[in-house]
Amino acid sequence: MASFINRHADSRVMRSLRACRWSDASPSPVVTWGLLMILLAAIALLSLLFGAGDVGPGRAWQALSDFDAAAMHDSEAHFVIGELRLPRLGIGLVVGIALGIAGALLQAVTRNPLAEPGLLGVSAGSAFAVTLAILWGADAATLRISVAQLGALGGCLCVLAAARLQGIGNDPVRLILAGAILSGLLHSLSSLILLFDQYTADEIRFWVVGSLAGRDATDLMPLAPSLALAALLTVILARPLAALALGEHVAIGLGHHPRMVRLLVIVVVALLVGGATAIAGPVAFVGLVVPFAARALAGPDIRRTLWFCLPLGPIVVVSADIVSRLVVPPSELPIGVITALIGAPVLIAVVRRRRLPML
Amino acid sequence: MSNMLSTASRATKYEVTPFSRTQASNQAQTGKLLLTLPLGKRPPLRIIVDKRNLLANLLLAGLLMVLTGVSLATGSAATLSGPAMLGALLGHGSALDIFVVHELRLPRVVAGLVTGGAFALAGCLMQTVARNRLATPGIVGLDNGATAFAVASVVGTGISLAPPAMALTGAAVAAALTFGLTGSIGVRGYRFLVAGIGVGAVFGAITQLMLTRVSIDAANAAYPWTVGSLNARPAHAVSILSLALLPALLAAIRLTRSLTVMRLSDTVAISLGVSASRCRLMALSVAVILTGLAVAVAGPVGMVALIGPEFARQISTRNTVPVVGATLAGAIVMLAADLLGRVILAPIEVPVGIVTALIGSPLLLWILLNPNARTTP
Repeated sequence: MASFINRHADSRVMRSLRACRWSDASPSPVVTWGLLMILLAAIALLSLLFGAGDVGPGRAWQALSDFDAAAMHDSEAHFVIGELRLPRLGIGLVVGIALGIAGALLQAVTRNPLAEPGLLGVSAGSAFAVTLAILWGADAATLRISVAQLGALGGCLCVLAAARLQGIGNDPVRLILAGAILSGLLHSLSSLILLFDQYTADEIRFWVVGSLAGRDATDLMPLAPSLALAALLTVILARPLAALALGEHVAIGLGHHPRMVRLLVIVVVALLVGGATAIAGPVAFVGLVVPFAARALAGPDIRRTLWFCLPLGPIVVVSADIVSRLVVPPSELPIGVITALIGAPVLIAVVRRRRLPML
Repeated sequence: MSNMLSTASRATKYEVTPFSRTQASNQAQTGKLLLTLPLGKRPPLRIIVDKRNLLANLLLAGLLMVLTGVSLATGSAATLSGPAMLGALLGHGSALDIFVVHELRLPRVVAGLVTGGAFALAGCLMQTVARNRLATPGIVGLDNGATAFAVASVVGTGISLAPPAMALTGAAVAAALTFGLTGSIGVRGYRFLVAGIGVGAVFGAITQLMLTRVSIDAANAAYPWTVGSLNARPAHAVSILSLALLPALLAAIRLTRSLTVMRLSDTVAISLGVSASRCRLMALSVAVILTGLAVAVAGPVGMVALIGPEFARQISTRNTVPVVGATLAGAIVMLAADLLGRVILAPIEVPVGIVTALIGSPLLLWILLNPNARTTP
């Protein structure tokens, strides 16, 4: 028996070694993942160097290379990098990871390659909840986060209820349409509220389009517990989800509980999307583009897809943020505009395929 | 009913005759009516009219007139009584009343009438061509395309092209993109709609991009186009749309027979002598023109294109495409939504786009999620 296991392990090692050879046409997933991490680091550095203001790349590089000394002789660059760009980078990383993972999970659980929190009305649900909360006088960031997560949960449950309806669950595209309509409804309800409440309108105007600008690093702190919980649940749920991808019967046969798994996944998605929405506003299409790219690189297994979402999500969000700063200096674009411009073509490309892949 | 019609026909020199004596009983069953218009020396023009559709259209026209009167009479400046409103409309009564009715409310009501009719007619045509109740110009991205181009013409640097022309171009571009991109999968089913949502999202993002780029004044000038409102609409855009609406309606009436057959499969339509591709192209062009010009007046009030035809279909017979009914119903929906928006939160005015979205979205969801609902128009 032991020899069998050894032989088995041997073959696996050999296989992965063979996959690592440079001559191989497609590099092994580990190598790709490493390259993506390097790319992410490069993009993070770029996001510190470039900005809409006066501190150009050269000055920022000097300040970065000797950050403590910069506090003395170039206090402006020190301030811009330390107080503005670094928190923004951090928020971009968190939002990217949260939205990417949430998209991958939602797509796995609805078995729908188009399921995206923004398209399905989850983001709109949390945005509407936050609008209501601000209208009723909620001010604290912590409250806003939990309200956004509750709203996202409501949106998720609506989506799942719709997906379980007769005839809709089999047709991924109809589900997306239902989500888009739900989003439209919630948006117009939000704008109705904004219309007759000027204070709320001022408070929310820049938040509602989705932006990373003007956020404080302290905004991230209240988010930490829920994100930690979501991360833990994701780790636990990865295996059952991979089993569910083989079909409900197989998953039950392997000892998983599909209903329980689905419910927990919805909770995780709500925590992630609600948190990201509370910080950055509704940023559409990230949850579509990131898992799409991750599946293209890693194959259909949800466990690998999730690993690849980790670098890909921040890559998409942070680079969209850099672009949003550079397109129209000295002003900035909302990041949601950039992600929509990237994401909508991906949506059309997926829809155009003759046969929609069922996940 | 027939009594009423015959008296009416005598007054207007229309002659109502049955097909023939032998078909008299047949006529009662089919519910058809043969209108004969004497044209002097030339042979008389004969039109077969469906009784129920005629009744439905008359009902809608009556409702529309009542609603127009109420819209003219109601408002925050002064609420007039019926006779006072009529008097002011004809130029009698106090100067203030005449000013309010003529300068403030009449342009708005006219804008609402023509935009509502245009949106709903475009929606009816597109739904029929796509064989899908959900395929309205708004969902397929035409509204957003037209809005993006109209906003571009307003905030555009230097070149200030007229918004109607630009909105028309935008609608045409969006339609070309959506239909071009979905060429391989066809317009049937829902994928076409999701591709349309994608196209709409791109144009929506472009609109936002332009609005953030420009100075606050230009952005404010372009803002009404992004929500959809009837407040202080450009007069020339209204007149262009009014000029386009009548020929478009006539073209749609001419297309009705082909469209009725087109609701079946292409094969059936072709075998019945309808040139399917030509009919589709005509109907789509009319829909694109109407949507573009209507967006140039009122902004993206796309939900009217869903509610209007739906309403008209409910009260007309099933065996035809209610183009006239949809136009009337669209105007009714638009006026009612505008009236509601003006009254509901009295000092503040809710833009008509938001009101129609609040009414239309649940209807859309119901059509989409109800397993028993028909998906074809």
